[in-house]
Amino acid sequence: MILKRTEFLARTHIDEQTLETWLSEQWLVPLQETEAEAFTDADIARAQLIHELNHELGVNEAGISVALHLLDQLHGLRRAVYELRQGRPRG
Amino acid sequence: MKSPYEILGVSKTASADDIRSAYRKLAKKLHPDLNPGDKKAEERFKEVSTANDLLSDNEKRAKFDAGVIDAAGNEKPQQQRQYYRNYAGPNAARGASNPNYESASAFSDFEGMDDILAQIYAQQAQARRNAKGADVRYHLNIPFLDAVTGATQRLNLPDGTTIDVKIPAGIETGRIIRLKGKGQASQGAGGPGDALVEVSVLAHPQFIRVGDDLLLELPVSIKEAALGGSVKVPTATGAVMLNIPAGSNAGTQLRLKGKGVAGRGDQMVKLRIVLPNRMDQQLNDFLKSWTPAAEDDPRKEFQS
Repeated sequence: MILKRTEFLARTHIDEQTLETWLSEQWLVPLQETEAEAFTDADIARAQLIHELNHELGVNEAGISVALHLLDQLHGLRRAVYELRQGRPRG
Repeated sequence: MKSPYEILGVSKTASADDIRSAYRKLAKKLHPDLNPGDKKAEERFKEVSTANDLLSDNEKRAKFDAGVIDAAGNEKPQQQRQYYRNYAGPNAARGASNPNYESASAFSDFEGMDDILAQIYAQQAQARRNAKGADVRYHLNIPFLDAVTGATQRLNLPDGTTIDVKIPAGIETGRIIRLKGKGQASQGAGGPGDALVEVSVLAHPQFIRVGDDLLLELPVSIKEAALGGSVKVPTATGAVMLNIPAGSNAGTQLRLKGKGVAGRGDQMVKLRIVLPNRMDQQLNDFLKSWTPAAEDDPRKEFQS
């Protein structure tokens, strides 16, 4: 599912200004589609995570940047390990 | 079900601040997105969230303390929550992820990562080579009497070699004989696989197998049936002489003890009376002059 900015804001219940902050912090990096942003399910779930880190877990902005940076590396590693376990196609 | 106080590890008199700080402490440890590979974390996180929802709401907490609602707390319809971890890493559904986030920087400093991967793949390949060789399936048709008495059959393999297959007495169609170590060789140190020989027992023109018994229909002449006598009868283990009692009718069954399958069952011999190929004059003359007894009607069962 691909969402435009307005649809994304409605789905995630965040305001425009918050989104601008998150974009400038690069907490969210939506795909670009012909001059406009294209938000995906991954962005929605990530926005929810940012919201929870901030409001429910009491993580401040600096903490969120650190957490997301580490999480992105962790997922990259998880994929590498997963692909390793699958083995290369034979031949 | 544990009470929400137990779940958060706080006392019943805990203040709102105590509860929030207890919740945050647990949530930071259990949040599914902070535990991408731990399935149990989601379950426990839900438990903790539900407890917090209940205790952080003064009205709900009062109701729970008064016993009006249970620990599940008037459960509001819960939507299936999609966590970020479902869209990242190897779990990501195709098309739903965003490649801008995932980063390989955690291992970009591993020099020769490709060499490491190559080494691991080589080890996996060696492990495959060292596996036991494959089992090979064969099919073998066995003559009826060999199946009854047991035998050794030679099996010609596609590579030109032969195996002697020992066929146990009494084997039936569909059984599989396993010959250990007669399958394909291992590519490494795993030892060969097995040969699996599936058996079909061929039919016999005279014998029929019924369980452990053998059934044979034996043609006899009128004279042998009427007057009795000793006749030669084939069995699975060679011919024997069978004594036919005088006055044996067609369909009479005689038993040869211990002449069944693998010496277990018996051989049943069913008599079939056969007229001479060409009726001779003597027999014709006798039959014309012969009047059967009135009560001896072969069809008396048919009369109502």
